[in-house]
Amino acid sequence: MARYGMLINTKKCIGCYACRVACQRQNDLLPNEDFIRYEEKETGTYPTVRVETVPLQCMHCEDAPCAAVCPTGAAYLGPDGIVQVDHGRCIGCKYCMAACPYQVRVFNEETGTVDKCRFCTVSAETSGTRMCSCVEACLTGARLFGDLDDPESDIAQEIAAANAQPIAGDLTKAKIFYVR
Amino acid sequence: MTFEPIWGAIIAWYLFLAGLGGGAFVTSAFLGWKHPEAVKMRKIGHMIAPAVVIVGLVLLMFDAEGGLHNPLRFALLLTNFGSVMTWGVVFLAGFTVVALAVVLLDFLKRPVPVWLDIVGVVFALCVAMYTGALLGVCKTFPLWNNALLPILFLVSAMSAGMASVLLVSIVRHADEFNRVGVLKKFHFCLPIIELVLVASLLFVTSSNSVAGWNSVVSLVAGEFAPWFWVGLVLVGLVLPTVLETWLLFFSPREFEESRKAHWISFGSDVGVLVGGFLLRYLVVVAALPVTMVVPML
Repeated sequence: MARYGMLINTKKCIGCYACRVACQRQNDLLPNEDFIRYEEKETGTYPTVRVETVPLQCMHCEDAPCAAVCPTGAAYLGPDGIVQVDHGRCIGCKYCMAACPYQVRVFNEETGTVDKCRFCTVSAETSGTRMCSCVEACLTGARLFGDLDDPESDIAQEIAAANAQPIAGDLTKAKIFYVR
Repeated sequence: MTFEPIWGAIIAWYLFLAGLGGGAFVTSAFLGWKHPEAVKMRKIGHMIAPAVVIVGLVLLMFDAEGGLHNPLRFALLLTNFGSVMTWGVVFLAGFTVVALAVVLLDFLKRPVPVWLDIVGVVFALCVAMYTGALLGVCKTFPLWNNALLPILFLVSAMSAGMASVLLVSIVRHADEFNRVGVLKKFHFCLPIIELVLVASLLFVTSSNSVAGWNSVVSLVAGEFAPWFWVGLVLVGLVLPTVLETWLLFFSPREFEESRKAHWISFGSDVGVLVGGFLLRYLVVVAALPVTMVVPML
C-alpha cells in the first residue's frame, strides 16, 4: 500500500495563504478554523535578509502522539497511514491538541470537537473526485504529494534531490517534508 | 505566532479538586489509623472526598464540549487503554464508588471495614498521581514532560486534602483538632517537600530545552511571576510552613490550643488550598510547546 506524504518547498512559498483558503473551502471549515498554520522566520543579516514562510499542518506521524493519547479512539491512524478523526467519537477533551508537538490540531467551536488536516488531496487522488486542495491551489508549486515508498514518484525523487527533512527532525515520524 | 494555552482554569480546577478529594480520603484513613478517637474529623474527610471529586468531574464534562453535546460519547472513554486519560477515568470511577460507599456507611453509623479503606486509599493515590501523569505524557511541553510532575501533584494533593479536613474541623470540631498531633506534623512537612519539588521542577525544566527555559522564565520573571511568587510560593508554601513551624514547635501548648491559634492554623490551611490550586493553574497555563518557540524553524 502506498505511504502518502507531502513535500513543502518554503523557497518557493510566497506566503499568499492560497493553500489555507482552498483548504477551508474544500473542507467546509469555520472561518476561524485553519488546518494550516503559518510561522515566519527571518534569516540572514542586513542587508541580505529573507522572511521564510513555513506552512505547518498535520504531519501524519506514523507514531502519532494524538492517537496515542486519545481516550475515545476518535483520533486514529487509518490503514493508509493517514491520521484521521472520527468526529462521532470525539468528546472535545483536547488531549490530542496538548499531545501534538506541532500544535496543528484545531478546535471546532460549533461541534465542540477537534479537527485537523484530512489529507484530502489523497482521497481526491484515489477516488478521482475533483477538488481544489492545498496542492492544487498553490500558485508556485511549492507543494508536492505522492507515495513516499515509490522511488519513481515525483515526491520521492524531489525529497532525495533536495534533501528534504521533516520540520523538527525525528521528534515524531512525520510524513510532511520540507525544503528550506 | 503567540501561543494560547490549550487548557485553562476549568481543567486546573478539576486537577486540583481531584487531588484534593484523594488527599481528603487518605487523611481520613490516616486518622482512622493514628487517631481513631477523631471520629468526626474522619467523617469530614469522607464527606469532602466524593463531593469535590464529583464537582471536578462535572467541570470536566462541561469543558469537553463534544461530549457535553453528545453524552453517550463519554462511554467511549474506556476504549483506549494506552491513554492516561482512560486510566484516569477508571481510577476516578473506582474512587468515587468507594468514597460514596464510605459516606453511606458513615450515614448508617456502620464502621468502615479496613479493606475498604485500603482500596479507597489506593484509588485515591492513583487519582492524585494520574493528574500529574496526564500532563506528563505530553512531549509537547517540557514543563509537563518529566517524572517530577506526578510526584509533585501527589504531594500537593495530600497537603490540600489534609488542609481541607483540618480547616473544617477547626470550625466544627475544635476539640478533636487539638488532639491530632501526628496528622498536623505530617501536614507540616508536605509544603516543605513541595517547595523542594517545585524548585527541582523549575531547575530541570529550565535547562532541558528552549521551550522549557521560556516556560520557567514566564513563571519566575514573566507574566505569571506575581501569581507564582506571591500566590504559590509565599501564600501557598512559605506562609503555611512558617505559621505551622511556630505553632507546632515554638508556641506554648496553652496557646497552641487557644482559639486564636486555631484561626492562625485556619489561615495557614487556606494558604495551602490557594497554593494547591495555583500550582495546577500555573503548570497548566505557563507550559510552552517545543515547536512554538521555533527552535525547529
